[in-house]
Amino acid sequence: MTYFEIFHLPPKLGLDTAALEKQFYKLSREYHPDRFASKSVEEQNKATEMSSLLNDAYRTLKDPIRRTEYLLELEGIELEEQSVKATAAAREAGKEKKQIVPPDLLEEAFELNMQLEEMKMAKQMGDDDLQLRKDLEAAKANFTAMLDASQKTLEALWQSWDAAVDSGDDGAKDAAKDEMVATLNRRSYLRNLVRDVNAALE
Amino acid sequence: MAYSDKVVDHYENPRNVGTLDKSSTEVGTGLVGAPECGDVMRLQIKVNPETQVIEDAKFKTFGCGSAIASSSLATEWVKGKTVAEALTISNTDIVKELALPPVKIHCSVLAEDAIRAAIGDWKKKNGSAEAEPALASVSV
Ligand code: FES
Repeated sequence: MTYFEIFHLPPKLGLDTAALEKQFYKLSREYHPDRFASKSVEEQNKATEMSSLLNDAYRTLKDPIRRTEYLLELEGIELEEQSVKATAAAREAGKEKKQIVPPDLLEEAFELNMQLEEMKMAKQMGDDDLQLRKDLEAAKANFTAMLDASQKTLEALWQSWDAAVDSGDDGAKDAAKDEMVATLNRRSYLRNLVRDVNAALE
Repeated sequence: MAYSDKVVDHYENPRNVGTLDKSSTEVGTGLVGAPECGDVMRLQIKVNPETQVIEDAKFKTFGCGSAIASSSLATEWVKGKTVAEALTISNTDIVKELALPPVKIHCSVLAEDAIRAAIGDWKKKNGSAEAEPALASVSV
């Protein structure tokens, strides 16, 4: 049983979280252990199992990013394995692997990390470089904006996905999936950058 | 954290951290990232144009301990090898040497990617891209 099925939902990404919450409370009451106190052990176990499944499902579906990752997983995409697989494929073909994120983002990520390190070192030596701090503030604004933009991209992709599910258009589904994967990958770099820049500015 | 002794050793005393001159034709630079976690690694090699032997290697990694250890080990391994020999290093060799657990495999993959990307960059600079058309098409 998928997390969507538990909530009697179609496998779509645009989701009314208020309705989800209501449904969650309703189902939680239905599976509440107290209601099974007089039932057989087997039924009790089943109810416990259902309520823990229900909790996992709720936590996953209410968070839009986790919901997206979960859906992609259901679609057979192993987000954790993609880089390893791409490397193996390139090795076998004797080709150079294409990096999964655009090179300029990698460049930026690398540069920012160098700056952060410089700043940390300067701090340890007791001085707080004003120019560096300014650069970091600018970088923070930049990456936060990029992270927000990627969220918007993702939201648009949810709509494409949902529309493709409704119309049964497999080509459009695949296209949306690929783009969702690319956007999530990009986000993992951006998230680290925002995290690191925040830590350095503290 | 169950890091192996070798990982800890490379992590605490990383070999060959640093930078080589990016603009030199003898230097190849590979900048790669792991989408699983958002970590980045740069590995550079300096190749003797006569012998094709990698005479120097440097790295800089912003990532977890396993990624730092993998890249440190990778620089040690490529030094003294020819470019062709270095291309045979695979992430499974690194996993074995450092006894990395399954969840850390992608960190070693990052190091293999970095070696290959550095060699690819060096080849491109030295005009052997025609010999391997595959490189030209993915280099952008
Ligand atoms: S966790 Fe990111 S490279 Fe190891």
